[in-house]
Amino acid sequence: MTWRIGVDSGGTFTDVCLFDDETGKVEIWKVSSTPDDPSRGITQGVVEGLEQVGAEASELGFLGHGTTVATNALIELRGVKTGLIVSDGFRDLLEIGRQKRPNLYDMFAEKPEQLVSRDLRRQVPERLKFDGTVDVPLDVDALRTEVRALAKEDIKALAVCFLYGFLNTEHEEMAKKVIAEELPDVFVSTSHDVAPEFREFERLSTTVVNAYLGPVMQRYIRRLKDRLDEIGLKIAPQLTQSNGGVIGFDTAADLPVRTVLSGPSTGVVAAQAIGKMAGFPNIITFDVGGTSSDVALLQNGVCQLTGEADVHGYPIKAPMLDIHTVGAGGGSIAHVDTGGLLKVGPRSAGANPGPVCYGLGSTEPTVTDANIVLQTLNPVEILGGRMKVRRDLAVESVQRLADKLGLDVMETAQGIISVVTANMAKAIRVISVQRGHDPRDYALMAFGGAGPLHAARLARELDMGKVIVPLTPGTLCALGLLLTDLRADFAVSRLMPLGCEALGPVETGYAELQTQAADWFDKEGIGADRQVMTRTADMRYMGQNYELSVAVPAGPITHDTFKALEAGFEAAHKQRFGFVVEGEPIQLVTLRLEAAGIVKKAQFAAQEIEGEDPSAAQIDSREVYMAEAKDFVPSPVYTRDRLRPGNVIHGPAIVEQMDTTTVILPDMTGTVDPYLNLILEVKA
Amino acid sequence: MSTPIDPITVEVIGSALQSIVEEMGEALVRASYSTNIKERRDCSTALFDHRGNTLCQAEHIPMHLGSFLGVIPAILERFELQDIAPGDVFMANDAYAGGATHLPDIVLAEPIFVDSTLIGWAVNTAHHSDFADRGHEHIYQEGLRIPPVRLYRKGELNTDLQSMFLLNCQVPRERLSDLRAQMSANRLCVQRMTDLCAKYGSDKVLAAGDALQDYAERKMRTAIAAIPDGTYSFSDAFDSNQRAEAMAFRVDITVEGDQMRLAFDGPPQVRGGLNLIYTSLLAACYFTVKSVLDPTILPNAGLARPLTVTAPKGTILNCEHPAAVDGRIAAAQRVTDLVYGALAKALPGKVMAAGNGCCTGAIFNGTDEKGDIWVYLETIGGGGGARPSADGLSGIHVGLTNTSNLPVEALELEYPLTLLRYELVDDSAGSGEFRGGMGIRRVYRAEKACRFTVEGSRVGSNPWGLEGGLEADGTHLDFGDGRTEFAGMVDLKPGQIVSIVTPGGGGYGDPSKRPEDAVRRDLAEGRISADLAKSVYNLSV
Repeated sequence: MTWRIGVDSGGTFTDVCLFDDETGKVEIWKVSSTPDDPSRGITQGVVEGLEQVGAEASELGFLGHGTTVATNALIELRGVKTGLIVSDGFRDLLEIGRQKRPNLYDMFAEKPEQLVSRDLRRQVPERLKFDGTVDVPLDVDALRTEVRALAKEDIKALAVCFLYGFLNTEHEEMAKKVIAEELPDVFVSTSHDVAPEFREFERLSTTVVNAYLGPVMQRYIRRLKDRLDEIGLKIAPQLTQSNGGVIGFDTAADLPVRTVLSGPSTGVVAAQAIGKMAGFPNIITFDVGGTSSDVALLQNGVCQLTGEADVHGYPIKAPMLDIHTVGAGGGSIAHVDTGGLLKVGPRSAGANPGPVCYGLGSTEPTVTDANIVLQTLNPVEILGGRMKVRRDLAVESVQRLADKLGLDVMETAQGIISVVTANMAKAIRVISVQRGHDPRDYALMAFGGAGPLHAARLARELDMGKVIVPLTPGTLCALGLLLTDLRADFAVSRLMPLGCEALGPVETGYAELQTQAADWFDKEGIGADRQVMTRTADMRYMGQNYELSVAVPAGPITHDTFKALEAGFEAAHKQRFGFVVEGEPIQLVTLRLEAAGIVKKAQFAAQEIEGEDPSAAQIDSREVYMAEAKDFVPSPVYTRDRLRPGNVIHGPAIVEQMDTTTVILPDMTGTVDPYLNLILEVKA
Repeated sequence: MSTPIDPITVEVIGSALQSIVEEMGEALVRASYSTNIKERRDCSTALFDHRGNTLCQAEHIPMHLGSFLGVIPAILERFELQDIAPGDVFMANDAYAGGATHLPDIVLAEPIFVDSTLIGWAVNTAHHSDFADRGHEHIYQEGLRIPPVRLYRKGELNTDLQSMFLLNCQVPRERLSDLRAQMSANRLCVQRMTDLCAKYGSDKVLAAGDALQDYAERKMRTAIAAIPDGTYSFSDAFDSNQRAEAMAFRVDITVEGDQMRLAFDGPPQVRGGLNLIYTSLLAACYFTVKSVLDPTILPNAGLARPLTVTAPKGTILNCEHPAAVDGRIAAAQRVTDLVYGALAKALPGKVMAAGNGCCTGAIFNGTDEKGDIWVYLETIGGGGGARPSADGLSGIHVGLTNTSNLPVEALELEYPLTLLRYELVDDSAGSGEFRGGMGIRRVYRAEKACRFTVEGSRVGSNPWGLEGGLEADGTHLDFGDGRTEFAGMVDLKPGQIVSIVTPGGGGYGDPSKRPEDAVRRDLAEGRISADLAKSVYNLSV
């Protein structure tokens, strides 16, 4: 049982990362994805990957799997026919939402498609009050009548969300029981199980999305499990969640909504591990693909969790890493708008026809085309020689924009890079300055196919001093699967002032969460020596409605604990908003407990430092346009796989590898560290 | 002229400016205390250049653009430039002396200095839900009038002024905390602008600001030039829950090349809080024209340059001192309907039917056990107009407002009210080939005695349809004794129930062209009744 395997199933490729626990060897394998049934591509990837290293499925000690099944089903509206039971008077809440229109100025913008049509949204007499007491008892007969009516509609899933269901679960529990009697085969989601937090619309939306995706996820997991059993897998596979951790298949099938944002989360986990190994606890991750860039901030090696996000117009309350996405990637299309300014994205050329330089018929220049014109990307062939490109076509397309702008073609190509870099910088400001962090205190970790290509310019735009390019930027998500722990998040609302009276309720609140965590540890088979629990409390000044999360010191809850919470809250408020209010009462809102089951992770061994001279890795030299010189500058080209620890590259230079290209600007150096990461720095 | 600057640097600096106003907006919402700001987001943030032109506005409430247009000129009228110092913070709310549009919208403006030179202004406005239960015969009844005054002088709080202000407020604790959140938003802006100027040089930032305004102007001119020259007129009725009589509003929009003139006419100003100050009229025009012509035009001062807006002085659409203005949004919403109606003639197939045309306000106030006053204000959306290619959106805010609702679970925790129903209203939408959006019914139960005020319109008139589409149903109320249209302030008894129904949106196109399956779906979903399906769509059930 020496091999560990991570499988990241994306839209085009399924990346497989194998790690030998004994030797520390990493093997990467790629197969084409099979979007009609992703489990086929995954199983094939596992089988082929194992063949590469000459191992059997039965020898695998761990299989972690990242999937976009839930996300894609939501985007493409391929969930099941879903019914909904709500408190009388509120059947349209799902449609009204927060009553804002989808776009302030564009009157043709649409609201997201309703996941439950109005005739399948049934209301029953029942009402709880704001303190959880019963105003109107649940009318069980009326409920049964509605459930039977829905049974005739052939629904496959049913969501239940009552007002204050998170405070008093009694009515939702009763509803669950009735539904189980009447519709035993239907997937049921209740709001107190899925998102036990206040604000009814967001809780309702989350519960409905969970129901809508439930049967899709169940079916997928069943199929994948069967296939993996067939090839002789002996261990229980794990699946990623939006919080960056993995969970067992059973939990994932019950709470598919928790995996909806899992895509980019393992990339962040991998970045975290690499940052730690390379000695950079404070990093901003920069993951650039074809259509979008994902960015996240890690302070002291930790990425904050956020409780809510908007996924294609559907608000979702679930613990997820605070990752911000912007529609700027290699395929983003550049155009001159009616006011004469150069704009890039959010429209993207996609994989087909792709950028102009692919020669597949596209004529609108993309960011990739600009890079081909500038020759930062190889102007003859890319993807390690797998694909020929047509620089002449790219030049023509950029020239057309240049004519409109009254600039020359090179200035325009460089302009496309400047504009897309500004869009990316905007995304980074959201997760840094807007959260009270100065990007200059952070290193930029660049990955994804196009991250390392833009990282140096982005770092300069934000005055960031260092850029880290990991060894395998294109498959970091698969690697991340081998570096993550099992993880579950538990929360309970406890609205009360931070004072003596709260000591008891907080103590019992955390005890409750610990019981839930203990059950989960049991279910996942995590032994006591591998259990880690971290407590945090969400707090605010009494009267505010947005909370800041503060770590709870270990040990029993005492006055000292509360003192530490108060100090922690004030520090966080000061950082975020620039002020504290002396003597203002502080309110506790939500108690949270993160339970982690520590798994053995891939470990990387430091390699011996060799000489500074990188010339053994130089494979070519080409003219690369540099904005600093306003001209082409002769630049050496190195191949990544021959760079050795200790090598120092002086910019301008280009480093090529199969899955990415790194640009080193004229006043920068690139140093290979003992783990073969490439560290770019501005020359002193 | 200014420093020459290339279009790429303009775009790069423009992105940074947009980041700044968005960050201000988030900070304001998250640090604030009153439900109207922290949950309903009834606030806006903006950045101005040194001459007082809008550079950048966060996408919150278009109506607030009115306050933004007026405030810096009002400050500069009262204070000499050399007397303005770093750390000064100006506060204003008056429609006549303060550049604002109604008294609850309090504006805070802080000058931004780089190397001792004024380079711009950080400005935000927040709707303080206070000054409730007031008369509206004239502005002196509507609350405390504040001309531009320094709340802070060189960073030092003017506590005398603050005490004076808070004493005039019904909920001083909220006011103080919300002001603090407004302060922190502006402080962030000043800091970020200082950093930005340090990076690019203030010359370049200012030049980019100028270029961004020129850019918005060019886009606006390009869009106007695409409209056939001519004059396009439209009339509509304006009424309100407070006043029985309906008033006639009219606009003549003249397009000439790349310029547009919007000439309004309406009745003389009234003794009631329904009058529009000129900047409110401007905000309504800028919003509507941009939304039809090109939603992507940056909302800065440049977009206004090709537009001329007039209305006779002393009328409800261009009122003079001392007309009351508290409920100006109602008339401003009708201005958006007028402009949409006229532009529909200029650009057939590009404009939707009338939306609910309201910003229906429900205000509750009372006194708690401790003797403290509480005030709760919310606004309720309705139907959106049917589009030329799609049904209208149901249960949304239209036009100059876009505030969130307050979650029921937050509302009932803070105020002695219970929300019994919050739903879409069957048969409320205008029928058509494309159906309008549905209006909202919101039903409250007062748990304690309190006073209730409703501010709505479309009581006698209805949202109109286009191209053969039918009109939608209007606003009505029910206090437990049947449907009514009109109500002033009403004292609610504990346990009393109030129901507010807001209008739907007008329909687009002849109803006979609506596909039968769409009619059947509406029927199955209960959006229309069997009667309506038969009478309007001729569907036999």
